[in-house]
Amino acid sequence: MDFFVDSFLSALILIKALDPDLFNVVMVSLKVSTSSTLIAAVTGIPLGFIVAITRFRAKRVVITLLNTLLALPTVVIGLFVYVFISRRGIFGVFDLLYTQRAIIVGQVILIIPIVAIFTISAISRIDKRYRVTAMTLGADRFHTALVILREARFGIIAAVVAAFGRVISEVGISMMLGGNAKGFTRTMTTAMALEYDKGEFVLAVALGMILMSISLIMNILLNYFQGRTTV
Amino acid sequence: MLYSARNIKKIYNGRTVLDVPELSIRERKIHALMGPNGSGKTTLLHILSFVSAPTTGTLFYNDRPVQFVENLLQPLRKEVVLLDQHPILFSTTVYKNVEFGLKMRHVPANRRQRIVEQSLDLVGMRGFAKADAPNLSGGETQRVAIARALACSPRVMLFDEPTASVDVESRIAIENIIVDIQKEKDISVIVCTHNPLQALKLADETLFLFEGRPSASIFENVFSGDVIDVKGSRYCRLHDKVLIPVQTQENGRIKISINPKSIRVADSDETNGTAMSSRGRIFQITEEKNWIRMLVDIGIPLSVLMKRTEFDQRGIGIGREVFVTCFDYGVEVLGR
Repeated sequence: MDFFVDSFLSALILIKALDPDLFNVVMVSLKVSTSSTLIAAVTGIPLGFIVAITRFRAKRVVITLLNTLLALPTVVIGLFVYVFISRRGIFGVFDLLYTQRAIIVGQVILIIPIVAIFTISAISRIDKRYRVTAMTLGADRFHTALVILREARFGIIAAVVAAFGRVISEVGISMMLGGNAKGFTRTMTTAMALEYDKGEFVLAVALGMILMSISLIMNILLNYFQGRTTV
Repeated sequence: MLYSARNIKKIYNGRTVLDVPELSIRERKIHALMGPNGSGKTTLLHILSFVSAPTTGTLFYNDRPVQFVENLLQPLRKEVVLLDQHPILFSTTVYKNVEFGLKMRHVPANRRQRIVEQSLDLVGMRGFAKADAPNLSGGETQRVAIARALACSPRVMLFDEPTASVDVESRIAIENIIVDIQKEKDISVIVCTHNPLQALKLADETLFLFEGRPSASIFENVFSGDVIDVKGSRYCRLHDKVLIPVQTQENGRIKISINPKSIRVADSDETNGTAMSSRGRIFQITEEKNWIRMLVDIGIPLSVLMKRTEFDQRGIGIGREVFVTCFDYGVEVLGR
């Protein structure tokens, strides 16, 4: 118990002193996760919107596929992307492996289904009368779509928040595609795994506390936006 | 002619919900579209507002055939505004709701403000401009929806049961608003209702729909029952004790309509010949020009129309126990 309390107190001192190593790892994590979340939002929201509002034969198949992808393990994505971006892969020339961009590619694949499925769910819950009302008030297709997106905004924001929560805490993709290079691709989760391997718990506990705080903030935001969708 | 139609049909899942061989609606009038629930009123309104296309047939607007192609409908939708039975306001302020149609029409910001304020004034909601639209009551929502439609300066306003979900006070206010805006703006209005009183109050002309088809008049007291024979006469049994004389060769379950003017109300049992009296209690009385409409509970709610002179002489009031008698000449068999 003393061991844990000591680690906890030392971690607090590290955080308070804004330790450069700790700060660097946190910044890499936030940069990578924010980038992948933004890219996934830009692609996943329109994808979810189109699937939700259009009628096509394979609609159920697409939704089932997206639902299946929600359960995709991060190591599978890591392996899959590795095959493509390693030197022998078809994208090997871009020299992406063991860079932050490689982690971003993997994380985007991980969370596009999350953003898309949450968006489909948010749009499907929106009252059909919004569409007819916008149309009968003279809105064209684009403005009708904007009305629907606006009414579903809290559900869509919840989708983005949930996606960010997923990438900030994943370890498989960051480890396999980033390589855990100090100062470059070392994220909070990969740093924690390394510190654990080394038997150094202070930095790991400090990172764990920051990660938990971020997760807590994400969950508070998620609950807030999900609450707004049901008002 | 504002609207005319030729052989318009709307078919959902193989079921014909609207079948209008011919239709003519004149400009700058208030038309009431009447019919019971499920008669196709809303479906017709959606076609007239260019929100939904007919499955077959041609709709003419301003004597030109309407092509239900999204890009071609856009300019038409800017002339016709549909108000839903339960209108929905965008989750923003009342002001921004009313402003929406104007933005879609690229009206400059300074003019938008003036039009929004005028429209809200017309429906008595100017004080609510900054209010959150989703927090309004049913009547207030309906009024803001009218203002939102009005702000678009439409040529045609289509109201789908505008007073179906509001209290009496709001109903009267909304009816007055409809009459006022039609006069003031000189626009065409089509009001969908199943309330004959409302149609009488508002409309210059009335169209009737029954089971998706235009009808000569509104069928009232529409009930379904089983045909039975009693002492050589045919009756439609609506309720355990209610027997309505009918002239039909049909057997089994049929649908009938009882003309409310043909029903006799008496203080005693007048069962005679084929006519069977049923005991009931008057639970609603309303006025319709020279007629008084009474709703009598005889196990089913039966609408009866009595001449005002007879009503005054007999001093009938709510809660009074009466015997109502239906006659086969006042009963029309509508089918199965």
